[in-house]
Amino acid sequence: MPQLTCIDPNEQEIDVTFEPGETILQATYRAGVDGILAECGGGCSCATCHVILDATWDGTVEGPSVQEADMLSFAIDPTPHSRLACQVELNDKHDGLTLSVAKRQY
Amino acid sequence: MKIGIIGAGQAACTLIAELIRGQFDGEMLVFNGESHRPYQRPPLSKTWLTHPTETESLRLLPDPIENHPSVQWIQQRVTGIEPDDGLIVTERDRYSVDQIVLATGTRAKKLAIDGLPSEKTHVIRTLDDAITLHSALDGVQNIAILGAGFLAFELASSLDQPTRTIRVLAKGIRALPQVSVKAADRLLDATPASIRVDVTVERYDEDSAALITNHGSIPADLVIIAIGAQANTELAEACGLGTDKGIPTDSYMQTPHPCVSAIGEVSLHDQPHMKQKMRVESISEANDTATTLAKRLLGQPEPFNATPWFWSDQGELKLQIAGLCARTDEETVLINTETECVVMRHQGDRITAVEAVNAAKEFMAARRLFEQGPISLGSAIEAGSLFSLLQSSRS
Repeated sequence: MPQLTCIDPNEQEIDVTFEPGETILQATYRAGVDGILAECGGGCSCATCHVILDATWDGTVEGPSVQEADMLSFAIDPTPHSRLACQVELNDKHDGLTLSVAKRQY
Repeated sequence: MKIGIIGAGQAACTLIAELIRGQFDGEMLVFNGESHRPYQRPPLSKTWLTHPTETESLRLLPDPIENHPSVQWIQQRVTGIEPDDGLIVTERDRYSVDQIVLATGTRAKKLAIDGLPSEKTHVIRTLDDAITLHSALDGVQNIAILGAGFLAFELASSLDQPTRTIRVLAKGIRALPQVSVKAADRLLDATPASIRVDVTVERYDEDSAALITNHGSIPADLVIIAIGAQANTELAEACGLGTDKGIPTDSYMQTPHPCVSAIGEVSLHDQPHMKQKMRVESISEANDTATTLAKRLLGQPEPFNATPWFWSDQGELKLQIAGLCARTDEETVLINTETECVVMRHQGDRITAVEAVNAAKEFMAARRLFEQGPISLGSAIEAGSLFSLLQSSRS
């Protein structure tokens, strides 16, 4: 199975396998990655599943919708590579993706 | 300390996760009366019904929390509690605990309709409800949904198909009475359902497969009752700790009995935002009451002080509400463009809720502003948007 690498808020590196079609939230949540709250359960309504994709993946992952970008502007210290984990759907091309979980979700 | 948690929904699961994250030094016995592992409810009426994938995608807890050594799952229905003796009684056994947490949630209100066979009557609240409804949809052309709240229209969007007619039947004089007339108009513009208001159902006629109402006969191969929820308070009522209106607690989620707490949708407590005691049905309430209780159990008590928020997917539109208002609160439109609609609900100059349709930025700005204190209607209008108001409050 393809996998991604997560760096949690305690700088721990965790490898997470995923099924194509899953979101980053589903994959990381199942694996119990620390620091992703996802209060709304993946509805793009709370901005508490903020992750930062490694910059080398620019262009490989489709950019955020207006709704997601608006929500992201309320995350703590968003960067140009910030995403909401619930809104990024993974496919085979994302095997090897690296991301960090935001230090704080609110 | 041994904690017995009754219920395995959002509030129970947030409590479990928060206690584990807070290095809770004790045991949790979790009583789950359903036959599924803890799952998320909001998707049931939304994405799950259109793409009923494996229940895996609905799971509420990650493995490390669900399988944590401090958590013991007991798949039994609780039939009673004896707070003075710290006892939880199930169909099969009695369990001794130090603290009892009632996280029993709500259930769908039912409505008996004369002549309507049970296999044509549905509600949607649990995963089993959703599975039953989904398996009954084959060949169904006419669906009648009784009730005209968020759930009814979420279902209408999810169940919509070219060969199907979906009718939403409201008892009251308008659909979506929880939101302003303006926001409701926006949301209903996009609904695939046809709406009838002021409907009284008399009976169901099996021969013509129709509901007989004060508006005549309405075809219905299947009827979904979506008229709201009722708190599961029986366990508390039996020992004098609650009524059918909810289980009263203080701002630390404690009932008058020192060993019993109540969290989530059953808990009736002081809502600082509303300046009154009330029971609130939302994910934010489940999370915030659970977090408040976790802090107390971890020895760092802080009173409940959250502002409720809500969201609902209505087809392509996303409604997000910050705050909570009475149905009679006034409404003033703040933003109304082709894509966005933001309505402020208020009592005089004090804003009680902000309803945002496809306007996530305004919703989030309103949540942040509510955290800082009351929002003035006049200032919001002057600023032109809540986002601008938030920015000016920070500069």
